[in-house]
Amino acid sequence: MSIQKILIQYEPVPENVLRAVKDVNRHNGYLSENDCEEIAKYFSWPLARIYSLASFFDEIRIKKDRKIIIKVCSGGPCLMEKSQAVTRQIEMLLKLEAENDGSPKYKLELMSCKGLCDRGPIVMIGDQIFEKVNPENIDDIIKDYL
Amino acid sequence: MQILTKNWDKIDPFHIDTYARSGGYEALRKVIREMTPESVVKEIKISGLQGRGGAGCPTALKWESAAKTKAQDKYFICNLDESEPGVYKDRTIAEKSPHQIIEGMIIGAYAIGAKKGFIYINGHYEKSAEILTVAIKQALEKEFLGKGIMGSSFDFEIEIFRGSGAYICGEETALINTIEGKRGEPRLKPPYPVNSGLFGKPTVVNNTETLVNIPFIISRGAKIFSGIGMKNSPGTKLFLLEGAVKSKGIFEAPLGTSVQELIYNSIYGGGLEEGKEFWFAQIGGASGRLMTAGNLDQLLVYGPAEYPLGCGSILVVDKSMDLKDFLVSWSGFFHRESCGKCVPCREGTFRLHEIAKRIRNNDLLPDDQERLEDILWTLGNTTFCPLGNFAATAWKDAIRIFGDKIFKAA
Repeated sequence: MSIQKILIQYEPVPENVLRAVKDVNRHNGYLSENDCEEIAKYFSWPLARIYSLASFFDEIRIKKDRKIIIKVCSGGPCLMEKSQAVTRQIEMLLKLEAENDGSPKYKLELMSCKGLCDRGPIVMIGDQIFEKVNPENIDDIIKDYL
Repeated sequence: MQILTKNWDKIDPFHIDTYARSGGYEALRKVIREMTPESVVKEIKISGLQGRGGAGCPTALKWESAAKTKAQDKYFICNLDESEPGVYKDRTIAEKSPHQIIEGMIIGAYAIGAKKGFIYINGHYEKSAEILTVAIKQALEKEFLGKGIMGSSFDFEIEIFRGSGAYICGEETALINTIEGKRGEPRLKPPYPVNSGLFGKPTVVNNTETLVNIPFIISRGAKIFSGIGMKNSPGTKLFLLEGAVKSKGIFEAPLGTSVQELIYNSIYGGGLEEGKEFWFAQIGGASGRLMTAGNLDQLLVYGPAEYPLGCGSILVVDKSMDLKDFLVSWSGFFHRESCGKCVPCREGTFRLHEIAKRIRNNDLLPDDQERLEDILWTLGNTTFCPLGNFAATAWKDAIRIFGDKIFKAA
């Protein structure tokens, strides 16, 4: 969808700025400089304000992701359900190191709580959330996803 | 006594009629027909209800200030951002009893004179957002929302606003900034949001769990509510039991229940899982204090307490766990979630996480213990908002209680 088609759904009032930014991010996978400019023009805001908003949130990307991003929840309850072992299993499987950007194809990050503590450990690949992950089923999850 | 969970699994969250049949919207009817905004605030004041988001600020105090501030537009916001590790109570409330939140909001808006409200929902809570969208639509159809609510001259509309995954946005001024399309950084207080909040207008931000108490207080009376729990901390609370306990999940218990009882009583946690030995419990998420076996008799209340109950989560850790994993978990969380506005927090959490990783990898540098004390003091005393202090709380306890273990291994 073109950016104008997305923006036209929003009345240009401040409470719609984040909504529009998220919507563009969802459709394009990230916000390019051009996207930010279009949004700024649409809301009659300075470009810097759109960029500063977009760059604040984890969920909004300001660069195109060239790698597949895998995230493991590092919160206490997930830790108690052995999220550490899941992280180690992923490190072994994909031959990389968590929080180290050395691998050319994948990136393994630790993430903050997603509020699904009753179904942990939680793993996210791209935008998809996987619940009750363990070192045994993570291999299949990753293979299926890739 | 069930106040918060009384409708759970008994009503269909997608159907307003099932909520109405179990006494739902009766409180709103009473408010609209029989009560003035002042008398609503007075009733909440008598009830002694305190905010359930963590800080425990008296709800009536916020309502009264916002009601007294003169302004054409006022806003009422329900905080459903909830991103403290180990806490999912507000999500569960939204999924099981959405109209109870909406009814609480409408009554609050009536009390302060707000015409517009927002429910600020965590960006990941798809199901909550879906359920609440349906609930708002149904409430509109039944004229509990919209223009001329139940035949009165009171108008109120609710919009859903989705966050975008940032812990700090649970802080009320950061939350307000995000709705305005700004970075989710906290504002300097005063002015407090009740005087100058969203778009500079008087704004009340209440936690979801706080709001679901309101219909009960109005329909059953403040005196009955204040008789539950403790004198200075009345009502019930949702406690989340996690980790090595037998039954995990959300339990409603009166405030003033001890941690011992919550973990070991068979109606709550039912003790530890087979073969596990209690080590410590963390009260109130990643920002919570650590409680060892000798302190389990502490009562969980709002107001001044040695172990603040925060948002009510109790993570039970057994002796099979490695403390170093927790240190990295805490520092990593606050390092990721520090908003970057003030230097002590941005740099402090960064350095803290570096040291945590060195502790985990057993390669502590000679001065690290000294540096750590310096960083924790700075985080605890000099940051712009409480996040810095949160980042230091569990660490300080860990060093005080298990310091030898942490540094000896290095």
